[in-house]
Amino acid sequence: MTWIVKYLWLIPALPMLAAGISALAPQRCRKFSSSLAIGSMGLALLLSLWAFVNSVQQGGVDGADRYFNFAWLQFAAGDAGILKLGWVLDPLTAVMLVMVTFVGLLIFIYSVGYMAHDENFTRFFTFLSLFAGAMLGVVIANSLLLLFICWELVGLTSYLLIGFWYHKPSAAAAAKKAFITTRIGDVALLLGMVWLYHETGTLLFYDDGAGCLETSALAKLIATTTSVGMAVSTAIGLLIFAGAVGKSGQVPLHVWLPDAMEGPTPVSALIHAATMVAAGVFLVARVFPLMGAHAEGAAAETAALQTVTWIGAITAVFAASIAVAQNDIKRILAYSTVSQLGYMMMGLGTGGVAVGMFHLITHAFFKALLFMGAGSVIHGCQEEQDIRKMGGIRKYMPITFATYAVGMLALAGFPLLFSGFWSKDEILHAAHGWPVSHVPFYLGVAGAFLTAFYMTRQVALVFLGPNRSRAWESADHSHARGNPPTHVGGKDKGAPHESPAVMTWPLIILATCAIVLGFIGTPMWPWFQSFLGQEHGEGLTTGVVALMVVSSLIVFAGIGVGWWLYGRKPIQRADKSDVLEKLPAGAYTWLERKYGVDELYEISVIRFNAWFARACDFLDAWVWGGAVKLVSLITLGLSWVSRVFDEFVINLGFDQSCDGVSRGGKLMSRWQDGRVQNYLRVIGVALTVLVIILVWGGSR
Amino acid sequence: MSYLDILKLAAPETIVVLAALAVLAVDLTVMRGTETRLRFVIGGMVAGVGCVAAAAWLVVVPTHGGVWGGMMVVNELTQLIKVGLLALTLFTVLISLEADFTAHVGEFLALILLATVGMMFLVSAENVLMVFVALELTSLSLYILTAFNKRNVRSAEAALKYFLFGGMAAAFMLFGLSLLYGLSGSTNLREIAAALASNGLDPLLVVAIVMTVIGFGFKVAAVPFHLWAPDAYEGAPTPSAAFIASGSKVASFFIFAQVMMIGFAGAEGSGAWRNYASGWVPAIAMVAALSMVLGNLVAIVQSNVKRLLAYSAIAHAGYALLGILANSEFGMASLIYYVITYGLTTLGAFGVVAAVEQGTGDAKLSDFAGLSRRAPFLSFCMFIFMLSLAGIPPLAGFFGKFYVFAAVVKDGAVHLGLLWLVILAIAMSAVSLYYYLQVLKRIYVADLPTGAEALRVPMTAQVALGMLAAGVVLLGCFPGLLVERLTALVLLVGQP
Repeated sequence: MTWIVKYLWLIPALPMLAAGISALAPQRCRKFSSSLAIGSMGLALLLSLWAFVNSVQQGGVDGADRYFNFAWLQFAAGDAGILKLGWVLDPLTAVMLVMVTFVGLLIFIYSVGYMAHDENFTRFFTFLSLFAGAMLGVVIANSLLLLFICWELVGLTSYLLIGFWYHKPSAAAAAKKAFITTRIGDVALLLGMVWLYHETGTLLFYDDGAGCLETSALAKLIATTTSVGMAVSTAIGLLIFAGAVGKSGQVPLHVWLPDAMEGPTPVSALIHAATMVAAGVFLVARVFPLMGAHAEGAAAETAALQTVTWIGAITAVFAASIAVAQNDIKRILAYSTVSQLGYMMMGLGTGGVAVGMFHLITHAFFKALLFMGAGSVIHGCQEEQDIRKMGGIRKYMPITFATYAVGMLALAGFPLLFSGFWSKDEILHAAHGWPVSHVPFYLGVAGAFLTAFYMTRQVALVFLGPNRSRAWESADHSHARGNPPTHVGGKDKGAPHESPAVMTWPLIILATCAIVLGFIGTPMWPWFQSFLGQEHGEGLTTGVVALMVVSSLIVFAGIGVGWWLYGRKPIQRADKSDVLEKLPAGAYTWLERKYGVDELYEISVIRFNAWFARACDFLDAWVWGGAVKLVSLITLGLSWVSRVFDEFVINLGFDQSCDGVSRGGKLMSRWQDGRVQNYLRVIGVALTVLVIILVWGGSR
Repeated sequence: MSYLDILKLAAPETIVVLAALAVLAVDLTVMRGTETRLRFVIGGMVAGVGCVAAAAWLVVVPTHGGVWGGMMVVNELTQLIKVGLLALTLFTVLISLEADFTAHVGEFLALILLATVGMMFLVSAENVLMVFVALELTSLSLYILTAFNKRNVRSAEAALKYFLFGGMAAAFMLFGLSLLYGLSGSTNLREIAAALASNGLDPLLVVAIVMTVIGFGFKVAAVPFHLWAPDAYEGAPTPSAAFIASGSKVASFFIFAQVMMIGFAGAEGSGAWRNYASGWVPAIAMVAALSMVLGNLVAIVQSNVKRLLAYSAIAHAGYALLGILANSEFGMASLIYYVITYGLTTLGAFGVVAAVEQGTGDAKLSDFAGLSRRAPFLSFCMFIFMLSLAGIPPLAGFFGKFYVFAAVVKDGAVHLGLLWLVILAIAMSAVSLYYYLQVLKRIYVADLPTGAEALRVPMTAQVALGMLAAGVVLLGCFPGLLVERLTALVLLVGQP
């Protein structure tokens, strides 16, 4: 075992340590806490790169001997009573480590600029570091339990960061929504975990043949069937997948992710684009052997994987269509994230680990880029988030525009040059070859079209055309309205401005990655896929090329329609209606209201829940509360009796004698007499009673 | 066996005795007439060096063996416990360095060391005669330590009470042990068990058992032999009380378990709800149940923190007795884990009380009001100690209880009968949370009394308390560090 495998825990431990230290630091130590967070993340990145290089050198597709387990807790005697935790360094972990630390580092740096004026700067970096540590813990875990612990920590920090501006009611509500919605999935995950432990007796993924993802355990899981005739492996896989659905915002648990955009933008970039939401995809990739476990001769497309595919495909097109009709710059990106996560799930379900993970990695970079670009735009436009009130920002923020355009083209899947094209094409290709059904493929293609369309719409509205910002306009025309001039020479304060270098440099770096990263997984040179252990024999065949051409055409069509509707003749005023509102039968409103899923939950789950809560409250206040009060009264009464017994019967006269001693020796004799008697009496009585009980019991 | 070999076996004890003599000599000659604080520092250093040297000997020179029919048995397990005892002694010395209740520094420290020697011999004893002698050495030192605050009449009173009660308990115990000798013809625990195995449970043996239980019940402050404890804890100088509650408990519980598990092997009986049979298990089960109920309930209405800790100690004695009731290797290991972690925690709690008492003059609950603003670090340590005593994970107190409870219900068929006791223990733990949180509420929520200023806490005490708190957290997060080793050692030395 090499050094890096044994000490892999250092990677999550470093940011956690930084979080711990800066949590203790006073609020004014702004520079200290940000440098601490960035420094720890930098070190973690170096270690991750080392781990990555080490993993590449091994060339080992097999993660089986690259783990380190240790005994954590002994809850019963013997080997079976030892609960083990551990970590593993397989290609999956190595890739994720580098991605999380690299993107995380850039976002940390960016946050220094973005959060510069926030008074809770120190707290922000504490949470960010804690989040990064937890996320890295998820990545390296070699035990479902350790993964779950870190997974919950990730959920907690996500809650803390979404609600970072807790004085805003919407942020507080969004934080709660995110926490509770993901918790629904987590309950299923916990159930799956307990079941898995029950069946296999271990939660370690790899443990020298005894781990739950290794052959013997899998064979056992396939062989056992549940009462409804489903293989246990499938049932557990579905439960675990439910956890991933919550975390990765898949339908029907996607509702929290758009609301989570109430958090600071770096948080959206870090948590809700690049890392945390990807944790669900990662989890499915991690337990892929379990999901894909099938008996000899049975179809490779297990029920679990089919579910993953269908959920992913539906999510992909569902979220993309909602994104078309949104006007909040971050919400569009949020729905786009949901949609892209659907693609990843679809990739996992149809093409295996490498296909899904490839899109996860490329997406992490360009989506972080887009979010940070959006943050830069918001920062430059006085916290304006409505794209109808932007426009023409290109000339004020050239760097942001250029990098945003790169991100948009990558997300849209612009052919050949951008990473998104290659990874999305992989997924579509896998879906095309899926033997079960072709519907996911068509859904994916429709989603690709919509993606290209709404991204073009967004870029056209934000960066092109005239500026429609009301605040800025009124400054321009203040003379005409008879107001005193609000600005004295120089550049208008209200005008959008480019962000500082600490924010633009991360954008530039990410933009470069968004282009370059695609080339490690092209059909011509499928290095990424072979690293993750998936043979990719086809190369550049006619079928592949034809599919590429088709998907390129789709993308061009999407961009073209978007340009035709929004770019050609840009809208002039913010309150002008959207072109799509002319669509028949109120389709636009329907989309704008996100298919009414929130409202549906509002009238069904939430109303029921509120009713149930009221019922529980009633029970609690009247039935249980009464019982508890009764018990507490009895307890208090008993304790009074005990006290009276102890202090007035047994210690009779003792407390009084305490005063007596201080007053003089006169009472001394009486005190001593009483005490000895009483004390001896107790011993004597105890002896007698115990002997009688024991003798009587023995003679029975 | 030559005297040199015996000396080797008893080397750690000898070192501590020498340290006690050295403390006395230094304090009464060189340091005579200097200021109390300096004498405490110098004396404490000598005592500390003695403890560390003895512990180092135990760790570095692994001598094993026994003499004269179990008069002194040295093995890996007893060595580990002795190291724990020395650590508790060291911490006691550390928290007493700033004490101002006495000018007889040398005597105070020497008595602590002598009590430690008694405990170390106690741990090694497998012979009832030696058990009694060592127990008396410990107890006599502790009586004097209780009386050490000569300016406070309550201290003398508490000591007298403690002494009289202890004397009676010792008399009963000696009587019981002599009966045992009469029945078996031996003073060695294992030989006693072998001799008793052929006879049934005759009434004389029952009397012997009950009398032995009384003697040990007094030492571990279990109901109804607890009457001395609240008064002694309250009246004694706080470092003495801390020592009585920590070190003395560890040694007493261990030897209690040894005597019961080894000496009375075969006379267990059964304390099951429906399947009662006479023996020492039902006797101790009753004592444990009474301790848990009375200790926890009475603690609720206390207004003095030292008295509260005394009743908490009574309750904890009840929990710990479950470890003896388990009557298995795992029970033994969990008992030792329990008492060591409990010793660390309660020592820390008393350390905090000592600091507060020095600052405010008393240790009533109201004296703790607003402590978090007067001494944040001290409050944080108290926070950890209280939660650990209440058994909140991931602190050591939780795992102590967990292992003890688990040990009792472990061997389903045999021990499930004691399930009622475990359920009672869990219910009572819930009750106990109330009064521990009462203390924390005073510290963190209650308003600062007007005119109160920051509390001056001596550096040594802060370091000692910080280390104790860290130990409690560490043993809680990694219980395996200690408990796995203990289990292995108990299996190795072949306890019952």
